[in-house]
Amino acid sequence: MKDLSKVRNIGISAHIDSGKTTLTERVLFYTQRIHAIHEVRGKDGVGAKMDSMELERERGITIASAATYCDWKGHSINIIDTPGHVDFTIEVERALRVLDGAILILCSVGGVQSQSITVNRQMTRYRVPRIAFINKCDRTGANPDRVIGQLRDKLNLNAIPIQLPIGLEGDLEGLVDLIKMKAIYFDGDNGEKIREEEIPAHLTAEAEKRREALLDAASMFSDELMEAVLEGTPTEEMIMNAVRIGTLKLELTPVMMGSAYKNKGIQLLLDGVANYLPAPTEVDNFALDLDKEEAEIKVSNNPADPMVALAFKLEDGRYGQLTYVRTYQGTLKKGDTIVNARTGKKAKVGRLVRMHADEMEDIEESGSGDIVALFGIDCASGDTFTDGKLNYSMSSMHVPTPVISLAIKPVDNKAQVNMSKALNRFTKEDPTFKTFIDPETNETIISGMGELHLDVYVERMKREYNAEVQVGAPQVAYREAITQRADFNYTHKKQTGGSGQFGRVGGYIEPLEEGEYEFVDSIVGGVIPREFIPSCDKGFQKAVVKGALIGAPITGVRCVINDGASHAVDSSDIAFQLAAIGAFKEGYMKAKPVILEPIMKVVVEGPTEFQGSVMGSLNQRRGMIVGTTEEDDYTAIEAEVPLSEMFGYSTDLRSLTQGKAEFTMEFASYKPVPKSVAEQLIAEAQKKNKEK
Amino acid sequence: MLKKELIEKNPIRHLNVCTESNVSSRMGLVISRAGLGKTAILVQIALDSLLNGKQVIHVSVGQSLEKTRIWYDDMFKDIAAGCKLDNPYEVYDEIMHNRMIMTFKESKLSRAKLEERMNDLVYQNVIRPSCLVIDGYDLACADQQFLADLKEMGRAMDLQVWFSALSHRDDQRVSNSGVPAPCHEVEDLFDTVIVLQPAPKSECIDLNIVKDTTGVSKCGKVLKLDPITFMIKEGC
Repeated sequence: MKDLSKVRNIGISAHIDSGKTTLTERVLFYTQRIHAIHEVRGKDGVGAKMDSMELERERGITIASAATYCDWKGHSINIIDTPGHVDFTIEVERALRVLDGAILILCSVGGVQSQSITVNRQMTRYRVPRIAFINKCDRTGANPDRVIGQLRDKLNLNAIPIQLPIGLEGDLEGLVDLIKMKAIYFDGDNGEKIREEEIPAHLTAEAEKRREALLDAASMFSDELMEAVLEGTPTEEMIMNAVRIGTLKLELTPVMMGSAYKNKGIQLLLDGVANYLPAPTEVDNFALDLDKEEAEIKVSNNPADPMVALAFKLEDGRYGQLTYVRTYQGTLKKGDTIVNARTGKKAKVGRLVRMHADEMEDIEESGSGDIVALFGIDCASGDTFTDGKLNYSMSSMHVPTPVISLAIKPVDNKAQVNMSKALNRFTKEDPTFKTFIDPETNETIISGMGELHLDVYVERMKREYNAEVQVGAPQVAYREAITQRADFNYTHKKQTGGSGQFGRVGGYIEPLEEGEYEFVDSIVGGVIPREFIPSCDKGFQKAVVKGALIGAPITGVRCVINDGASHAVDSSDIAFQLAAIGAFKEGYMKAKPVILEPIMKVVVEGPTEFQGSVMGSLNQRRGMIVGTTEEDDYTAIEAEVPLSEMFGYSTDLRSLTQGKAEFTMEFASYKPVPKSVAEQLIAEAQKKNKEK
Repeated sequence: MLKKELIEKNPIRHLNVCTESNVSSRMGLVISRAGLGKTAILVQIALDSLLNGKQVIHVSVGQSLEKTRIWYDDMFKDIAAGCKLDNPYEVYDEIMHNRMIMTFKESKLSRAKLEERMNDLVYQNVIRPSCLVIDGYDLACADQQFLADLKEMGRAMDLQVWFSALSHRDDQRVSNSGVPAPCHEVEDLFDTVIVLQPAPKSECIDLNIVKDTTGVSKCGKVLKLDPITFMIKEGC
């Protein structure tokens, strides 16, 4: 069995285009998993190893996180490469859930950008210890010190550099290791030969100063180091231990640097992963005991205990469905029977593989803390597997609700079949991607987290499943909500031949602060017989599916029944369901309903000279400017803008700023639309209804 | 409680930041040692303006946008909870449309830059502020000209400008009217100066209005600051 203290499950997360995939490629090369280096937008037409999807190769971005593993100086490192675009945040979040540590990559020119802030927030939410790596130190305008300052100011990290670059931009020669106090150079065609030298004379004073700062920061986590510093005898091991303790406590972030593209600093980063990021045994992970009302239980990491594993990613491989799992305790063996905690279904582990991007290696068993893939197991992403001895589920993951939808139509019958296959796969893989058939228009609707998110799925349908579809205009997912309490007292009566229907429902509806829907039964004296109470609940649930204003789902409503009447013969399940629907309709308009729209948090970053026009453009789109952060002729503008106003913004922004600004957006909240917009939406909905 | 009542009962009315009788432009200063609540006072001054339907720009030097925003969220929550405001979410949404936060690195702040930014905002119809609060600017390093420039800008734009300044225990210099260093030599540029001091025999902090040339605020220790919530109140 593998020594768990030598296992590292790490993620590589960062802003788009800061070089994640290039860096991963180098890591695989130095750990001898691959024998040649390919670039992301490679001229050799091969593309980087981790960008296994064709679309990723073409666009030069990473969409689905591929998992791979490598060995480095006796340590087994499982790496999840994560996407850089915020539309794919669920991928990042899912990866972080199963990781023990992460490398946060930053561009030495762009610094901490909005996506890095999002990723950092996610890492903090999942308590993932991290190392920061300042990449692209060879680029014109590289300024690692500025980035370190931003890590402190913008991300509130106690960022402590443990290296110092020797030269910058085109003159980047190597790095000074502030712990060893040696200059490190990377020789050979691919930087594979490491040469240690004395620190160049012109950097000695600076290196001393920075080491001093490092010792100050690190000694906060180790009394042994503090004493040694006072006596002037700190050893490399003491410093590394203290940095490790600080990192694991999430109170210190060691900052490393280099250039993946120029093959500088990657081996040291791998040392950093082994030295400062936690082993699975050093991280507390919790499962929910389904037999004890979801009580939190710490998983043991012990390979001898009953097995608990989490399926965190599904992929449609060449040989069927591939399920990536992380084992939290126990051992997963080939031939074992495992149980899906959600469905209760049993499955046999036919094939167990270790993934290396899109190649794989068969293994017999996987110990606790390991990340491996299973073949032919039917499950959804986020499912927990056990060996049947326990009824645990790993804590549920935070899944945002889709905010945008598109109608898609297959061009022919063949595409129709393939589209269904593709949609079935995608919805299993990605919980933020949903699909349904609109009962009124009979159109297939897909919904997700942003334009690009849906765009990528439409492309994948075409490329991977050969499903050509026509795409409609994007639609915003509106909601309706009530703003005040309203009473109802409705009688449903039907006596037209056959058995009659009778049911009276009295009570009120009121806004619910948290949650979508709540049903409260306050009936006393049996005025509505007990067997018909669930019918009332069912009726209300049917009623909230479609609001009376624009037909959008109603959210945040509590339905309380406190009165009613029944008939010994004519009352039935359906009669009370219909009575509840009628009652809801009666109360709804009196409860002053409003239309809610998704509001996005938008961050536009670009040169300060365009600040005015960018703010103007956001303002025109009904945006509320929250604030600006100005630094070194670069400004980040943060605003809250309705999603319905953000279509086509990237084109507008490009023309406004000569392509020099970029933006990210993520869902923030639902808010009522202004009166004028509400009137327009209601008029449109009415027109549509008339046309039907 | 309704918004109107909240405004009327808000103890900050003693500062007369934005009542009808108010002078349209004034330069104010809140000065104290570290940790006594300068930012809290500035945020409450800004919130008072916002509740009165005015627009506010909050300039934060060296602090992140998120942190500044949290100050507003927390203070508003405390105010709303304290007076059981009827419709806190609506009021919050309404006032936040009238506030904008700008964060700068110290070296970047100058009259020209601020004026350019504000003109941009007015031109783009984003915001037309009547109150500008500047928090975190190191007045020990500021030259008199910078402050005079800002005062002039405030006058030209009909703005109330409020600064915070950090004093130090070991610097005992003080002006005739009681304005501590580092602002003792530039006090003539400020119309109103509030010094925060721990109240004797109490855990509260005194808001000592040591100077007011506008005639709208009464000098003396009328107001206190709750050291736990950092809320301004009338007595301890």
